[in-house]
Amino acid sequence: MTWEIAIERTIRNNVPRVYNVLEKYPYILELARELREAKLEVLNNLESYVEQTVESVKRIGGVPHVVGNSEEAREVVSKIIGDRKKIVMGKSMVAFEVGLREHLKNMGKEVWETDLGEFLIQLANEPPSHIIAPAVHMSKERAEELVREALGGLPPNSTHEQIVARVREFLRDKFVNAEVGITGANAIAADTGSIILVENEGNIRFTTVSPPLHIAVAGFEKIVPTLPHAMMEAMVQAAYAGLYPPTYVNLTSGPSSTGDIEMKRVSPAHGPKEFHLVLVDNGRVRASKDPDLREALLCIRCGRCHLHCPVYRAMDGKWGVPPYSGPMGSMWSYIVFGDPKPSLLCTHSGGCKEVCPMKINIPKVLEKIKARAWS
Amino acid sequence: MESLRSFLKESLDKYDMPFPVDKKVCSGWAKDLPHGGETIIFTSCMYQIEPVVPTLSKFSSMTGIFTGALKGLSSLAKLVKPSKEEIDRAYKILNNVVNALRRRGINPGYLYEDEPYSGALLLEAGLLEDFANHARRVASMLRDRGVKRVITVDPHTHNALTRYAEFVPFDVEVVNYLQLVDAEKKIEGEFTIHDSCLYSRFLDLRDRYRELISKSGIKLNEDFLVTGRETSTCCGGPIALINRDLSESIAEKRAQELNKLSNKLLVVCPICYITLSPHFRGEVKDIAEVIL
Ligand code: SF4
Repeated sequence: MTWEIAIERTIRNNVPRVYNVLEKYPYILELARELREAKLEVLNNLESYVEQTVESVKRIGGVPHVVGNSEEAREVVSKIIGDRKKIVMGKSMVAFEVGLREHLKNMGKEVWETDLGEFLIQLANEPPSHIIAPAVHMSKERAEELVREALGGLPPNSTHEQIVARVREFLRDKFVNAEVGITGANAIAADTGSIILVENEGNIRFTTVSPPLHIAVAGFEKIVPTLPHAMMEAMVQAAYAGLYPPTYVNLTSGPSSTGDIEMKRVSPAHGPKEFHLVLVDNGRVRASKDPDLREALLCIRCGRCHLHCPVYRAMDGKWGVPPYSGPMGSMWSYIVFGDPKPSLLCTHSGGCKEVCPMKINIPKVLEKIKARAWS
Repeated sequence: MESLRSFLKESLDKYDMPFPVDKKVCSGWAKDLPHGGETIIFTSCMYQIEPVVPTLSKFSSMTGIFTGALKGLSSLAKLVKPSKEEIDRAYKILNNVVNALRRRGINPGYLYEDEPYSGALLLEAGLLEDFANHARRVASMLRDRGVKRVITVDPHTHNALTRYAEFVPFDVEVVNYLQLVDAEKKIEGEFTIHDSCLYSRFLDLRDRYRELISKSGIKLNEDFLVTGRETSTCCGGPIALINRDLSESIAEKRAQELNKLSNKLLVVCPICYITLSPHFRGEVKDIAEVIL
């Protein structure tokens, strides 16, 4: 029942909001069209764009890493972290995809998710149920109970505001004392090596700036040709998620530095001393060469298709292999985890393809994956 | 999964339908239509047989029960006979369509018991190779019979046939009855509507049937979050054979949403009718029962 109430409220709140944003800022539609073209160009030459990105990241003083699969990703990140213990994480689907948090915890690290939704599902030890609202399945009451149990200090019948304030208070210290900040990336500019992160809470800004070491973990498909394209992706993603203008857009191009004393470049200044970009393949190159699957890699994780899908609604958000859920998730369950079964549940309702900013013909991609499920 | 596939295949081989069906049930509605011809009506037995699908999906799932069912295909054929009332309703709908076509000067032929199945279920389940093989057989049969144009009466058949050319050489023209008929009856009344996902978001027929409905005088009660082009959803029917519980759960939710708008519901597809009827409180009617 909680799920039904939560999803019903989410749809009533979010769906009209996205339509309003698109009506008020019609240039978003144009940007989405341009972004699709730019991303298709990358997908047609994915490996060469990965190489270009690697060179660009080096040029700005960052350290690029290219990994083939989840295991390699975990290994590389553990090596970068070394003996450091205190870690804060901004929301990253790919970090979940490669099993990073669990891995680091098993290594005895103190790891905290800092996005509120991720924080709640970390406390609950549950998988995310939506790609941009990972705790969409949780009612206020459940969130309250979790926070009270883990952190204490919450009066009975706490309000939404009181819950958020308690988490804010708890995480303040974690941000300040963290030795490592791990984030994803909404987009990566191949020409400059910059990453872009969109958010509303401010946790990503903290995570990327406060700790001395920043590691961004992202899939190859996040690469776009230029920095303007990366900004475009941030704007389009936020608008189609119904959160426009986004409160924060973070741009990171390498480690922090200053030239304020005799114009000598010194690193770090106030931000991190080291910036690492871990680029994850996990089936993406293979998918980019597969005409049946390529389109799926255009996904910018706006989460809109979920709310227009009857299967996602009816399955309590549990359609797909976590962290990927819903229509996009049943495509990505196959691309990344090789699991074609979720696709079989697509009823070709078709709302997803109508509302997808990248115009991905999701039912068509799923039809092809279904065929593979049978063979 | 394999058992479902073999069930469908064996049934198609034996009965030329995805389920064991007495073909007389499929063709019984037509009495005076020419046998064959260049233009034929293509029912794919959808309206006629859909009423029994819930019975089938009740003991279907991907758990292997089909293996048992396979042994008794012919006894199953007896089981899956629609009731007299259901048959009468289906026959009336199909005759309404033919009469409406005739009023527009179109006199289609019909293949009666030789009419093949469209293969829609194979396509929608993702059995693409089987669908291609099936399409090849149907295409060659239509060619042999000199058919140049087929008129479909439901979205699933229309979708399957319009996609044949992606899989096999196929140059038969496929049109839907909604593109050809006119709303000549004047109706008073208010309904809400459940759009067919295929007509609405894949086959570009949503505006066409809304135009017919509006011309008939019917007022539609709509809500942009429930009956909008991008916001309305499937009834759950197409997934019934793969996962009945999911199908039912989608149908229940959909019917509840629609019930908030009216207790009179218009549908445009035989699967939607059957799937939503048990959950919708009030009257459910097919557009061809009302406006033709
Ligand atoms: S598939 Fe399209 S609508 Fe769904 S999350 Fe990705 S970009 Fe958004």
